[in-house]
Amino acid sequence: MGWISRLRGLFGRDRLSEDMEEELRIHLAMREEWNAAQGMEREEARRYARLRFGNPVAWRERMREIEPRALLDSLLQDLRYGARQLVKNLGFTGVAIAALALGIGLNTSVFTAYKALLFRGFDARDARRMVNVTMIRQSGAADPAFSYPDYEIYRDHLHSLSGVIAVKSQLEELTLTDVGDTESERAAHGQSLFEKWGLLPGSAVGSKAELASVMMVSENYFSVLGVAAMRGRPFAAEDTAELEKSPAVLISENYWQRRFGGDPSMLGRAIRLNGAAFTIIGITPHDFVGTEVGAPDFWFPMGLTGLVHPGDDALHNREEQCCRIFGRLAPGASMQEAQAEMNLLAEHLRSLHDPKQELSKPARLELTPGSPFPNKFPPSLRFAILLIMTAAGMVLVIACANVAGLQLARATARQNELGMRLSLGASRGRLIRQLLTESALLSLLAGALSFISSWVILMGLARMAEDIVPPDMGTFVVHLRPDLEIFAYVLGISLLAGVLFGLAPALESSRSALAAAFKANLAHSPARGKRIRDVLVGAQVAVSLVLLIGGSMLVRSSLRALKMDTGYDDKHGMSLTLRFPDGPDYSPERREALAQTAARRIAALPGVAAVTFGRAPDTDNIRGAAVSLDGQQPTPRNTRGYVYYTYVQPNYFETVGIPLLFGQGLRQQAGQTEPNVIVSESAARQLWPGQNPIGRRLRMGTDRFGWHPTGEIVPDGPVYEVIGVARETRGVLLDGSDSDQVYVPLPQGHAHDFSLLIRTRNDPGAVRSATRPLIAGIDGNLVASTATLEEMLHETSAFLASSVCAAIALTIGMFGLVLAAMGIYSTVSYAVATRTREVGIRIALGASKIDILRLMLREGTRPVAVGLLVGLVLAVGDSYLLRGVLYGLGAIDGVSFAGVALLFAAIALIATYVPSRRAMRVDPAVTLRYE
Amino acid sequence: MKKAKNDQLQGSLALLVLKTLEQGPLHGWGITLHIQSISNEVLRVEEGSLYPALYRMERERWIAGEWGVSENNRRARFYRLTAQGRKQLARERESWQKIAGAVALVLAHGEAAG
Repeated sequence: MGWISRLRGLFGRDRLSEDMEEELRIHLAMREEWNAAQGMEREEARRYARLRFGNPVAWRERMREIEPRALLDSLLQDLRYGARQLVKNLGFTGVAIAALALGIGLNTSVFTAYKALLFRGFDARDARRMVNVTMIRQSGAADPAFSYPDYEIYRDHLHSLSGVIAVKSQLEELTLTDVGDTESERAAHGQSLFEKWGLLPGSAVGSKAELASVMMVSENYFSVLGVAAMRGRPFAAEDTAELEKSPAVLISENYWQRRFGGDPSMLGRAIRLNGAAFTIIGITPHDFVGTEVGAPDFWFPMGLTGLVHPGDDALHNREEQCCRIFGRLAPGASMQEAQAEMNLLAEHLRSLHDPKQELSKPARLELTPGSPFPNKFPPSLRFAILLIMTAAGMVLVIACANVAGLQLARATARQNELGMRLSLGASRGRLIRQLLTESALLSLLAGALSFISSWVILMGLARMAEDIVPPDMGTFVVHLRPDLEIFAYVLGISLLAGVLFGLAPALESSRSALAAAFKANLAHSPARGKRIRDVLVGAQVAVSLVLLIGGSMLVRSSLRALKMDTGYDDKHGMSLTLRFPDGPDYSPERREALAQTAARRIAALPGVAAVTFGRAPDTDNIRGAAVSLDGQQPTPRNTRGYVYYTYVQPNYFETVGIPLLFGQGLRQQAGQTEPNVIVSESAARQLWPGQNPIGRRLRMGTDRFGWHPTGEIVPDGPVYEVIGVARETRGVLLDGSDSDQVYVPLPQGHAHDFSLLIRTRNDPGAVRSATRPLIAGIDGNLVASTATLEEMLHETSAFLASSVCAAIALTIGMFGLVLAAMGIYSTVSYAVATRTREVGIRIALGASKIDILRLMLREGTRPVAVGLLVGLVLAVGDSYLLRGVLYGLGAIDGVSFAGVALLFAAIALIATYVPSRRAMRVDPAVTLRYE
Repeated sequence: MKKAKNDQLQGSLALLVLKTLEQGPLHGWGITLHIQSISNEVLRVEEGSLYPALYRMERERWIAGEWGVSENNRRARFYRLTAQGRKQLARERESWQKIAGAVALVLAHGEAAG
């Protein structure tokens, strides 16, 4: 049985079950005996018996196909065989795993981050029973904000929700005092990364005051969420009377550690927020975020709002939409029941509202599983997410194409081995299964590697994220938990990748192995194989092209955003915002006086060219209004356009650096301001196209369009006359609509509501550091935040969104570029290398080297050319989709398109040239001899 | 092509095996010998085909196998026909006769006309 055992050794263990083996042995023995009884010699009998038995490998295989357990056995055999093959070709294996790990790893990271950020529930006991409540208006828009009196009714009258909590829509910043030596403590903690990079307005600290982030929540917040304090106790619903007598707040453990170093005496300490006294009665657990994404510095009971914002009647104003509400489902209640019950109540509540206000209009309440993120994402965010996931998917496809190409290249080397297996009786199907198993093994290994590595990377990023956001904004908390879903996802795409890159080469290899077994023609390349390869190359080029062009455009657009002309002088300006403590001590008159004093003193500083009160040109704080030209209040019927307004003093334009194109400037007024305005060029174009705007009149209305905080002054009412036109600024909106500006004179006595804009002679940095002691010198309770105009420009959400997009695009693009370049090079050069014999023949037949080179180049680059064409067409469509995110670029960016296409063409040319040259150098006699 | 050939053989092989076992349980070698001798050495069953067929039929529960002792005190696996197997035998037989009849008709047709 010598040769059988050798075969067995080659293919690994191929025993059938013991029973089967024994049965066959017995049969063999019986036949031997029978032959002997017939008169044959023992030896002869044995040999004959074995011959009659036929090819053992073949029927063993066939039998395995029957036995269900044999399937598992043969799979194991395949795996073992595959593993051995991979180990033998470590070079190939290494490269393949690296390429796949990149593709799979990227996908895993994106998916994990997506899940961790967007699918988190609340930080609460039994979080699955918590729900979000959203109002869906008739227009379909989702509104998560409710008024406090409405909330009280929901809280007290619902049976299907055992608890309803309210949370103030915005995180608040209150002035914190009476906490010891603040200046040195702050300095000790250093600046956050954001501040170091100049991405956020640095908060200057008054000598005694600092800012703390405060989350205002209803008193039953902690009991409904089911969370206890780490130390001390949380406030509870019953405490309302208690709280009024001795006001209390909770401090978050994160802030407690960061700011006070975990000082145990903080528990029970008295502090002042906005001047009012509070006791810290408890510390919430580490990283506790409740219904939010970040941990604030303090948790504040909403009932005490009046102490820090005197005169604020949000708690009693039924029309003021102050808060988001969340509920806990009662035991046994379903979300549908709760939703139905709430809608009935909502119907009743609507009748209590002022019919002129928004809340009286019909709207449907929708309950969704509790999550810090709204369930209806704005389309732009959804789109961005889709984009990122698609890009990650494309990188995976490129990686698979790469490995497929490598496999094909290796196929020729495997012809011998595969051919032998075929001739020994393995079926082609079996062979294909074998090769696919090997591919699957490869991709599973890559998947495991990428799972671990992307985990580590994401954990590192999460830790970095905590450092990036400055402490004033609370602590952003994100939890990356090992997750069955994620693991299943990685497994799934690894297997998918394995099939993707393994199928074509497996089919191809087994077919050509068949051909090889019959013809022993090792260098033969069947025409169909060539087609597969060409399609592979073309697809690879097309996909890579789309990916890289998209990435390149995103990167370029953000670079342009940095350099583009803003329309004003952003290099020589800074903004200083004064924060006055709330309370009767600081009446509007006092504030005005302080603001004017500050302005005067700052103007006297060296390096300061001008100061004015107003709003910086690039903030997200824009204000909009509808415009009518008939002198009547703007209504939907007579509205001629929409503009954005800014209150300015007459010297605004010189201070900020916006040239006045024609007409006059606003005049300095004492007493009543004249109803004159300046408009920007683009506003003039919108309202009076093709006409001279000077002398025209307009009237603005803010109640329907745009948003402004209650109590702010608005330009409603007066009919304004246009007396001048200023150059338009770029604005912060992506579609540029806020270039349409109307500059309205700032009324007397309101300067303190605005920021101080300062024009500096040189770099604003020096002036900035001088302002801090200056303000402290005026009044120690004032806090001033400063920022240069350039910083503010970089901070606008449009810019930030563009930058983040670009960073991600760049990273993915880099991955894609490396993979694509590798892939195109290897597949194209392999395709050319297989034609070596053909080259030899042509030379032998007398073709000149130049002709051959030309032929190879032409044919080698043909699939690439097709790929480029297809890719370019797809990229045009893709860029059309992207134009919402592109900042300042046309839809078809010539540089990106041409640049990437040319790069690929160059790679393909080199990839064709090098093996062609090599092929030509081989002696034709040598190649021909291998016929 | 290999597959098709197998299928054909499988079809008639099953019939032959089931018929052989109708008369009583036999082990694999016994079945081979029986078919070979009854058909006057015309039909020689390949062991490579027999055992896969046996296992397949066992899976289909047409035959049942169990270990026993052979005529010369050897351990061997014996197969016997099951009730389902009997039904399958009848089915296969009918199908074979139908095919044989049809083939005969086709062959006869040319002759008659000629």
